[in-house]
Amino acid sequence: MTDGVPADDWNLLHDRFYRKIELYDLAWKDVDLSKFMVSIAPFGGPIAMIRNDKKVLALQSQNVKPIMYIYTSSGRLINQFQWDKGRIVGMGWTNTELLVCVLEYGSVRVYDIHGEFYQFSLGQDAKDYGVYDCHIWESGVVALTGNYKLVVVNDLDEPRPKVLCDPGLNQAPSCWTFIPPHLTLSRHIEVYLSVGSTVLVVDASNVGDQQVQNGPFSRMSVSPNGKVLALFTADGRLWVVSSDFQKELAEFSTGSATPPLQMTWCGTDSVVMHWEDTLLMVGPFGDWIKYSYDGVVSMVPEVDGVRIITSDKCEFLQKVPDACEKVFKIGSTDPGAILYDAFELFEKRSAKADENIRNIKPELADAVDTCIEAAGSEFNEARQKLLLKAGSFGKCFLDSYDVDRFVEVCQVIRVMNALREPDFGIPLTLQQYRRLTPDIIVNRLVNRHHHLLALRLCEYLQIKKDRVMIHWACAKIKKSVEDEETLSRLIVEKLGTDKGVSYAEVAKTAFQSGQSKLATKLLDFEPRAGSQVPLLMSMKEDEHALTKAIESGDTDLVYLAMLHMKRSLPTADFFRIISNKPLACSLFETFCKQQDIKSLKDFYYQDDRKLDIANVTLLESCGLEQEEANIKLELVKSAMKMYQEDRNGAFEAKAIEDQVRLMGTQIQLERDVGHSFMNLSLSETIFKCLLLGHGNRAAKLKSDYKVPDKRFWWLKIKALIKTQNWDGLEKFARSNQRFGFSGIIDSLIKANHISQAQHFLEILIKTGGPEKDAHAERYIALLRPA
Amino acid sequence: MAGDSLPFNVQVLRDLARHELVDVLDSVRGKKGLVIDQTVSGPLSLVAEFTLFKEHGVEKVYQMETPRIDTDCKALIYICRPKIHLMKRIAEHIRAHQQGPNPTKIEYSVFFVPRRTMVCERVLEEEGVYGEVTLGEFHLDLVPLDEDVVSMELDNSFRELYLDGDTSSVYYVAKAIMKLQTVFGVIPRIIGKGTCAKLLVDLVLRMRRELSISADESTNSRIFPASSEIDSLIIIDRTVDLVTPMCTQLTYEGLIDEKYGVRSTFVELDPSLIGAPVPAGSSSASPASNKPKKVPLNSGDKLYTQLRDLNFAVVGGLLSQVARRIHEDFEERHQARTVSQLKEFVGKLGNLQAEQQSLRLHTNIAEELTKYTLDQDFNKILEAQQNFVAGILNNIHVDYIEELIDKQAPLMHVLRLLCLYSLVNGGFKAKQFDYFRKELIQTYGYEHVLTLQNLAKTGLFRRQESARNPYSQVRKALRLIVDDVDEHQPNDISYVYSGYAPISVRLVQVACTRSAGEVPKAAAGSAAGTPTNAGAPSVAAGSQAPPSWKGFEEALGLLPGPHFEESQKPPDYAWLGKRKNSMARTGPKVTMVLFLGGCTFTEISAIRFLAQQEDGLRDYVIATTNIINGTTLVEATLGTAAVNSA
Repeated sequence: MTDGVPADDWNLLHDRFYRKIELYDLAWKDVDLSKFMVSIAPFGGPIAMIRNDKKVLALQSQNVKPIMYIYTSSGRLINQFQWDKGRIVGMGWTNTELLVCVLEYGSVRVYDIHGEFYQFSLGQDAKDYGVYDCHIWESGVVALTGNYKLVVVNDLDEPRPKVLCDPGLNQAPSCWTFIPPHLTLSRHIEVYLSVGSTVLVVDASNVGDQQVQNGPFSRMSVSPNGKVLALFTADGRLWVVSSDFQKELAEFSTGSATPPLQMTWCGTDSVVMHWEDTLLMVGPFGDWIKYSYDGVVSMVPEVDGVRIITSDKCEFLQKVPDACEKVFKIGSTDPGAILYDAFELFEKRSAKADENIRNIKPELADAVDTCIEAAGSEFNEARQKLLLKAGSFGKCFLDSYDVDRFVEVCQVIRVMNALREPDFGIPLTLQQYRRLTPDIIVNRLVNRHHHLLALRLCEYLQIKKDRVMIHWACAKIKKSVEDEETLSRLIVEKLGTDKGVSYAEVAKTAFQSGQSKLATKLLDFEPRAGSQVPLLMSMKEDEHALTKAIESGDTDLVYLAMLHMKRSLPTADFFRIISNKPLACSLFETFCKQQDIKSLKDFYYQDDRKLDIANVTLLESCGLEQEEANIKLELVKSAMKMYQEDRNGAFEAKAIEDQVRLMGTQIQLERDVGHSFMNLSLSETIFKCLLLGHGNRAAKLKSDYKVPDKRFWWLKIKALIKTQNWDGLEKFARSNQRFGFSGIIDSLIKANHISQAQHFLEILIKTGGPEKDAHAERYIALLRPA
Repeated sequence: MAGDSLPFNVQVLRDLARHELVDVLDSVRGKKGLVIDQTVSGPLSLVAEFTLFKEHGVEKVYQMETPRIDTDCKALIYICRPKIHLMKRIAEHIRAHQQGPNPTKIEYSVFFVPRRTMVCERVLEEEGVYGEVTLGEFHLDLVPLDEDVVSMELDNSFRELYLDGDTSSVYYVAKAIMKLQTVFGVIPRIIGKGTCAKLLVDLVLRMRRELSISADESTNSRIFPASSEIDSLIIIDRTVDLVTPMCTQLTYEGLIDEKYGVRSTFVELDPSLIGAPVPAGSSSASPASNKPKKVPLNSGDKLYTQLRDLNFAVVGGLLSQVARRIHEDFEERHQARTVSQLKEFVGKLGNLQAEQQSLRLHTNIAEELTKYTLDQDFNKILEAQQNFVAGILNNIHVDYIEELIDKQAPLMHVLRLLCLYSLVNGGFKAKQFDYFRKELIQTYGYEHVLTLQNLAKTGLFRRQESARNPYSQVRKALRLIVDDVDEHQPNDISYVYSGYAPISVRLVQVACTRSAGEVPKAAAGSAAGTPTNAGAPSVAAGSQAPPSWKGFEEALGLLPGPHFEESQKPPDYAWLGKRKNSMARTGPKVTMVLFLGGCTFTEISAIRFLAQQEDGLRDYVIATTNIINGTTLVEATLGTAAVNSA
């Protein structure tokens, strides 16, 4: 194969070369793609197909249930299952290789390649009017309902259907497409509807008419970077514009009024259209290449080309990668080509090799890079080898060359070649590989149960192999016929117990497949406390779950475990379990204070914590308003009883007994005086009595509650000053010499009654004694007229 | 201030938060309303200004506290903490929109700060609105209050941690430290003191361990940068030092906080204080102009940077100096003879005017503060505090507390003094304890039966259990009382309280410098036969060594909670090969001091003072759950304080 000149099968499209590479002879037999609905996953992903019931053949009875087939790109069957769920409107793959099927009446099923699924609904509109059509992208779905509304689900992991702005259609658009959120400026999906002669662009809040004249369009396709739109007009012209319709980029007449079966992009600068038996590629300057096929094919756009599935072949159409073009283009004088040439001459033992090398000496490093890159871009293994050898040969003439690059490409080529083996059937290009990253490749391999290859790959690329082993263990458990003992030994042997491999997932699988003993055993090996919690809960190991949650320090997990228990266990058991776990108790108390006072009281009651019951009751009473005086009194009374019953509550009991008495007094006062005393403290009550001129009542309160003289005096002064009862104040001062004058003078100064303060200062000076010695001078200074 | 020389730029945290905020706002297409939980609005205002909201389609900002939101917006974005009562509020809002005469169809998104919790999801479910809302997370945790201070702005952390026993904030702080380590590198040394501090360090170490389980070696080192920009972390649990916040802060910034209250670097002032020239046209007495104005207090104001950490006693002098200088600068215009000189002056004019404006503001504030400090009760309280911390527990001062109660003085003043006495005396004698409790309840209301229990539970105000009084020993061991403090030329951190050195910062000092800041006395030095300048080199040597409690274990033993020292191995960079060494960082060591349960402005000032003392050998960055003072701390324990946790 290496004998042929690589550039022989290249086609020129304006100034760029394109090549079509045959990847596989498909392993399947007798498949007529025209009878199937087909969906191919990008990045060399699997092919899903199901009989298209729009094209029912006369021979097939309506009653035969169709079968969903999932093949690799090499045409090997991965899985098949019977479809009995109603008509599929559209299907597509996500970036985690899940197959999304949108059904006629708005339900969406998401399958993994083994046929396991979950489902959700697109909402009421879809349910009532059906789904007219839909599109699927890497992480979401957009559907056009029967009443021509647009429903979008952005995140399939957490599906929340949202209705976009209503475009107000009363008939179906002639065609429609969309730009996924990650490619738009606004980071929100934009839908393009071909309506009449124009195109409407719809997002969550707007419908924008693009004022286009040359519609209606029968096909629309968005370029892989979301910047350019290809439209196919009714009269057979291909029209290419920027996706904001500001810039017209190309126009091309195909001469076919029939719209193509499929229209897609090959890279970002050519459009590929497919009619039965034909594939037409059109470039930006109206150049075109035509390929002939037998019947109907199916295409999937890749980041750097288009993968084409025919009834017996898998092909890849791409722009020839730059490095390959530099090396292999006829007459190329690129250093890479010259290096490759030099290497061939060297192999033939020709002295001209040296001359070549000398010619390109200054650019030799670039030449080596080019050859290595070209090796990565070739599918033919023999040619890969030659190119690598040429690179290696050039490297010899360089004093310093960063070998990391060389090593990296060699590694990647080995990995890609292994993946391309028909058994695995994942034909990635270098560009796709770099975009996809090894981590995701490993995920895809384990999903297809190619654990051994995945493991080898991890070891080879030195990435962590935990998830391969975990996935293997899960798969093993699901399929296993061995007894739990053997199985557990087998798994622990492989996963190890000291390397920190997470067992939670494995244990969960064991539990779900009904092997709870195995699950318990395996879960003990889980090093992360937090990860154990959810499973322990579903295994009804509630207390254990709570202990682990507390260990993790994550209070939310503690709540999760605790609230779950509260619901599922008898109250007494629940209380018993949390009572010896301080963090759980604290969190439960905080939660209940806001959500569930009753449970909190039960909890304290069970534990005989009378003081706490009293406290909660008291807290409740504090929150009550004026109108609820009676309830308030009752609550305080019941708190009092609880305090009395707790021997640690002696002080509180006494204080609240006084309070109950005070509340009674206050009600009586209100009746007698006609003013409300609700919510006042004892001091405030006395003060209010004094203010209102009920000195006797105040005095009675003082003696009833054993208020110290000093406090009473202070209240009295305050009241006298407030009511500006100067005679009363002087009388008070003279009859209560023990209280002194400085308190009065200070209070007067503070209340800004300067002349009164001066008056009392005079009295103080006249009276004399130690108080005068201590304070007089300060007051004199303070009260000196400014 | 050490600000400019910091190799470690906390603004990175602001940028991270800002980017995430933009994603949050853009998650909803088109115009929208923003509903903000009041406890998030502070930190949010530190990462974004209103124009940013506007640029991303926010039409109006609503307070979450309002029971009903009337809006034309088709979409509402809630940014709130994962608290139960807030979920109920959201449900209330949604129901109000759905019911009523003309129900409106609105799209709701809720972003939880710093993370979504299952409890909240469950409450939303129980309230029957779970299907209506799109849930997301906004990882707003440590936000920079200034160049050297970052805060979680968790207002309720003290109550949650030490009263409710809800350790959620420890978990959030641990997460934030993990994030910090992914930006600034693994912190090689972590020491700390206190029960919750221990909980935190265990959690941080566990998280790192678990992270390295789930990530392989190469990604592990990709998670953590190769070099560590923070050399050490010192975690101080608030319960280790409750004495300090009970004292009145005497720095300029501290006093502003005591008088006005500073929230997320903003202080609300009467517009007359700000001294902004009243626009000529507007009527002077319009009610709108009397509304308090929010003024930011941070290092953007150069004058404030000079003033904030000073003892208030010297602020007046400095202000008049600055006034003179500005005046002279203005006078320069008369000397300008040539056009170029004039041009030069005009160039400086903008700066001068800004300076003058700032001078006017701070002169006004200082005047107000002077009035505040001349008040008789203020001085009596201060005198009592100073005596208490110095171990002089005179009856005069206890009687004064009684007088305060009798006069129905603000409860917080009374409680702060009572707590301080209790803390330094190892509690009150039973009889006195009961007497004060009764007085408090009769004067301030029966609901304080709960407050008093809460105070006892947190150890702030309690009955004496034994004659042993650890504080007096701590005072000697850590040299808390410094008699000859000079406020003008401070030589010790105690200048922030005019003679009392905060325990917390003294602990940081002994950990970093191995000394409690003693100035070696010539006599003592020669008596011991050591050179007189022994102190200086040992300080320098201490700065080089990683922080440690070594030598001060005895003093630490007297304070509550365990102390610990942990080391973290940085990730293995073998895979990086030769590039490894080139990334080693040079320059001063950076120590992060983390306060769990909050810190005061004076403590921040004291730490800045430490940085100056260490001659550029060590920089300090302060991290805290929130900024507190004695009043907010005691308020958090009030029996009727809303229980807003969970």
